[in-house]
Amino acid sequence: MRINARIGRLLAVLAAAFAVTVHADINVGVTLSATGPAASLGIPEKNSFALLPTTIAGQKVNYIVLDDASDTTTAVKNTRKLIAENKVDVIVGSTITPNSLAMIDVVAEAETPMISMAASSRIIEPMDAKRYWVFKTPQNDAQMATAIVEHMTNNNVKSVAYIGFADAYGEGWWNEFSKIAEVRKIQIVANERFNRADTSVTGQVLKIMAAKPDAVLVGGAGTPAALPQKSLKEKGYKGMMYQTHGVANADFLRVCGKDCEGTLLPAGPVLVAGQLPDSNPIKKAALEYVNKYEAAHGKGSVSTFGAHAWDAAKLLASAVPEALKKGQPGTREFRKALRDALEATRNVTAAHGVFNLSAQDHLGFDQRARVMVRIEGGNWKLVQ
Amino acid sequence: MDLQIALLLGQDGLTNGAIYALLALALVLVFAVTRVIFIPQGEFVAFGALTLASLQAGKLPGTVWLLLALGVLIGVLEGSRAVRAGQLRRLPLIVLLNVGVPLLLAGTLIAVSPATLPLPVQVLLALMLVVPLGPMIYRLAYQPVAEASVLVLLIVSVAVHVALTGLGLLFFGAEGSRTPPFTEVSFAVGDALLQGQTVLVIVASLGLIIALYLFFERTIYGKALRATAMNRTGARLMGISGTLAGMLSFTLAALIGVLSGILISPITTIYYDSGFLIGLKGFVGAIIGGLASYPVAAAGAALVGLLESYSSFWASAFKEVIVFTLIIPVLLWRSLKTTHVEEQ
Amino acid sequence: MPAVRSTTLLAVFIVALLVAPLLLPEFYITLLDYIGLYAIVALGLVVLTGVGGLTSFGQAAFVGLGAYSSAYLTTVHGVSPWLTLPAGLLVTAVVAISLGLVTLRLSGHFLPLGTIAWGISLYYLFGNLAGLGGHTGLTGIPPLTLFDLEVKTGREFFYLIWAVLLLALLATRNLLDSREGRAIRALRGGSVMAEAMGVHTARSKIVIFTLAALYASTSGWLYAHLQRFVNPTPFSLTQGIEYLFMAVIGGVAHVWGAIVGAGLISILKQWLQDWLPKLLGQSGNFEIIVFGVLMIFVLQRARDGVWPMIARHFPQPPTRAQLREAPPLARRERPAAGAVLLEVKDACKRFGGLVANDRMNFQVRAGEVMALIGPNGAGKSTMFNGISGVDPLTSGSVIFRGERVESLPARDIARLGMSRTFQHVRLLPGMSVLENVAIGAHLRGRKGFVAAACRADRDEEDRLLFEAARQIERCGLSEQMHEPAGSLPLGKQRIVEIARALAADPCLLLLDEPAAGLRYLEKQALGDLLRRLRDEGIGILLVEHDMDFVMGLADRVVVMEFGQKLAAGLPEDIQRNPAVVEAYLGGVE
Repeated sequence: MRINARIGRLLAVLAAAFAVTVHADINVGVTLSATGPAASLGIPEKNSFALLPTTIAGQKVNYIVLDDASDTTTAVKNTRKLIAENKVDVIVGSTITPNSLAMIDVVAEAETPMISMAASSRIIEPMDAKRYWVFKTPQNDAQMATAIVEHMTNNNVKSVAYIGFADAYGEGWWNEFSKIAEVRKIQIVANERFNRADTSVTGQVLKIMAAKPDAVLVGGAGTPAALPQKSLKEKGYKGMMYQTHGVANADFLRVCGKDCEGTLLPAGPVLVAGQLPDSNPIKKAALEYVNKYEAAHGKGSVSTFGAHAWDAAKLLASAVPEALKKGQPGTREFRKALRDALEATRNVTAAHGVFNLSAQDHLGFDQRARVMVRIEGGNWKLVQ
Repeated sequence: MDLQIALLLGQDGLTNGAIYALLALALVLVFAVTRVIFIPQGEFVAFGALTLASLQAGKLPGTVWLLLALGVLIGVLEGSRAVRAGQLRRLPLIVLLNVGVPLLLAGTLIAVSPATLPLPVQVLLALMLVVPLGPMIYRLAYQPVAEASVLVLLIVSVAVHVALTGLGLLFFGAEGSRTPPFTEVSFAVGDALLQGQTVLVIVASLGLIIALYLFFERTIYGKALRATAMNRTGARLMGISGTLAGMLSFTLAALIGVLSGILISPITTIYYDSGFLIGLKGFVGAIIGGLASYPVAAAGAALVGLLESYSSFWASAFKEVIVFTLIIPVLLWRSLKTTHVEEQ
Repeated sequence: MPAVRSTTLLAVFIVALLVAPLLLPEFYITLLDYIGLYAIVALGLVVLTGVGGLTSFGQAAFVGLGAYSSAYLTTVHGVSPWLTLPAGLLVTAVVAISLGLVTLRLSGHFLPLGTIAWGISLYYLFGNLAGLGGHTGLTGIPPLTLFDLEVKTGREFFYLIWAVLLLALLATRNLLDSREGRAIRALRGGSVMAEAMGVHTARSKIVIFTLAALYASTSGWLYAHLQRFVNPTPFSLTQGIEYLFMAVIGGVAHVWGAIVGAGLISILKQWLQDWLPKLLGQSGNFEIIVFGVLMIFVLQRARDGVWPMIARHFPQPPTRAQLREAPPLARRERPAAGAVLLEVKDACKRFGGLVANDRMNFQVRAGEVMALIGPNGAGKSTMFNGISGVDPLTSGSVIFRGERVESLPARDIARLGMSRTFQHVRLLPGMSVLENVAIGAHLRGRKGFVAAACRADRDEEDRLLFEAARQIERCGLSEQMHEPAGSLPLGKQRIVEIARALAADPCLLLLDEPAAGLRYLEKQALGDLLRRLRDEGIGILLVEHDMDFVMGLADRVVVMEFGQKLAAGLPEDIQRNPAVVEAYLGGVE
């Protein structure tokens, strides 16, 4: 058995080597934050790349996945390495906004398209000669913040307190949320920061309590976002709680437990894929990812972050066949054609929504890409 | 800020300060005995808490494998040394101690389902899994360079910290964990509730500090450690082995770290990399104590906790800026007070 | 710094740098760019930590100052990148000097922690100050332009970065091999000796601290324009620790160690990134674990860093500083023989409740040997420290050449012409005898750091070294001139201390047990030397236990017991004094 498998693999390698002489492989360079502060986002992304099909349009695809340790210098170094050493046709990454922003110059210079998996709209806006090469798959913070503010106005929330990470994530959310809330006449009564690894947020929580807000929004990602909420509960806060889509994984529910009952958050539809109406085209695409991921990593292991990686691959799967018509992988023409094809993406249904890109919009999501979710009975529940 | 808020902040600062104080004591102890600035101290906090959480979640904590791997490594090292020295009779004991015991522990964990055990037994298991890592790390990483300069030992500490953080991520993942509280009791302070667990942290820390004091004052090992701390060469001449003292101090440091982790994991979320910042703040306390005085170190740590708590209320975005900028004048004051003419 | 070997090495290095971009693949050039950037910072740490003995975790924050200054000025105010370099350096210098004034007062472990404290503070300030782009960062930093050429690609940057590094390397090497350089190297031996030789140690510390900060800032400026994006993470404490890590792994006491350390760590990380997934599979993140373990291993094998290990494999020509015939240094005007040089009046020194010196009174004249004797613990060395300003008196006065000096710092007393040796030898064991002695001549030179860095100090340097050589010869140590001071037997080391004191051209020499550890013939030679010095008109105050030596040499003797003056007079009178005999033989019935 073993020997057979080995011979089989050898044959496959030989066949692949032979194939190279005919068609060059497509090389996808990935840099993501699998270690460091953003590891909880980067790891499911990394896991997702292992689930991706290894061929697109009959062409072999190599995913070269590098870790940037949540550090901008390393992210840029990785990008340069992927472009110079691995001659990649497209860069996917990085996980977080600062890293992605830092990579823009490099990919624009090398004329290599890039698909970021980070949240901030600054990565693709304002459109300019450099961002011409840059795309992204996660919903913009602004889009998610709008969903929260809408929900707040519909539920009579007049005043809100914000507490977010003292990093790019918390800052990005604050910028978007405060802007939109102001327009919708919601008064922001407190703006606090905490560190991911802080052991106590009592000071911030007491200040928020003193401001007596109708609702509190926590701008954090993963399990650390549970700490302010638990502290608020412990100190007797009774108002509404909002979280961001950054918390959408099972670990958050595990750590926050009953303190998070009733919490509201905007999220990509993939989080509640099973609860979507069958008429929603995203349901099928999202379930495909969820099933694949959970088959490999266990029930309940799926998070929305991995789906951003999956969606990047979806974009590629639709763009590569077009690009192949214009040039061979590994060439400048192919990269340019790939970029053009990415920009021309229409009606591609992915785990997080339906992509319709344009020259001005390198994300291309509409309202379908976000839903409001409530935590009920320790589970995500779609708010209709 | 009214009185109630001030009190709550003070209580919060003292709770964190108590943990920092424990770590500060451990750091002072390790430094005094071995001249090692033990940056990985914080990792024991994280490993302790996360190992306990894994046990409670019914998972086999990765620390078991680390314990086994280090045990085998030390077994091989000591074993080959014994063989070279012709002391074959020592071999069985070496193997039993370094490989047998971890294997037994791993076997036990696989055989029984730890999630169903009562909390104290789980805590004991977590201690048995993580505390031995302390002396083992001393044996493997520090003992070969025990005589090197403080700077080199510090850099070894950085390397150990890097490796342990990586292992932490591998064992426990990037997301954090909490453990159930030891007590559900809570007290009403005005409108707010004060959890029994936070009081427990302070009480237990004080208890530990007193226990350490008794250990140093009353037991032969405690006295040996104190002697080594005062005068390494002298202690060696009196028959106190530097290696033994090193191992002992690392065991104590690991024990303190793990207990701290287990104490705070019910009131906060612990991540694989939480240890560094907690340890750093303990380190600040330790330095304020001049890496020599236990009571001053504990007071310094409490000061850090309080500074942190109040500044997170006043200007949370600038919390670290405030805490660490205010530390500088304290350091200056301490430095000027402890100035002494270099030995003639 | 062995000169001959360094020069060859430098030539090889420059040639390698020139051809590297032509031979290496693109990514390796990029990697070398980053290595260069790191090495510039690590080089600052070599001076600060390796040579000066001051450990800093905060260098990353200085890199950040350089990077953010340029990023802010170019993006917000449209200033040319070439102007932002001096601006960034200025900002860094101001911050470094103010931080240095506070933190360098910290002794021992307070200093590294102080650097951690402001390292963290600055990091969070970068993330929170308005206009700096917050935690997310500042984009759109313009590339550097040279005439019409944009310095954009890795190759173009390579030459710029390594040219800067090379300049910094040369300047550092020159600086360390100079008068001020010796003063910096003396810091490691503790400030007491350096101050007694006239070195303003606090100033030297500030200078090297600022120098290291400026190197870091320059690296930051380059970084900002290479990356064309800045955010706070590359300037965090973690990165600060990493810089120190590089310097120590490379060899923190050697300028080349900076490059070796930066290179080794950067390349190792790349290799681990390439090879580990192939060996262990994609699933885990093993890089940092393996990296940490490897580093522990390296440190255990090479605790002084990798560079000394490499250097051992090169054939080493004998290391000797070039000694050129040079006109002698100016000498100070000396008082006429018999004039009172030193007058100690009612000198008291208390340590808590202990009175170490109690109302001591005596004089030393030019051209005489005055011996201070007494049983162990009588307070003789304390008296020396009080006179020389090392550990000032509690009360009483010291008048040296007509000036009250009891509250002057040691270096100012040294400037007036008092020079001393120490009971416990304070030499820098790794430095040659010649360089050790040259430290004594510190106050006889003028040239500063900048002159040293650009080698504009060579005339003076020749004269200083020649003077040192002359004093060594005079003390009979010509044979050992180029040997490391630490390799000499203890008795000879005491003689080196005397040569060092003489290099200062003193009028008054304070010798603390100079004959201890000497053999009979050596003692005789020492006696002869001291007699000659006396005849030249130098006053000598001597503490010594060897009674034969003292009685054969001293013109006058003061006996101390329990911190008090027990007796004073001519040697022969002292020998007959019953109180003295009792003090020395007391307790033996």
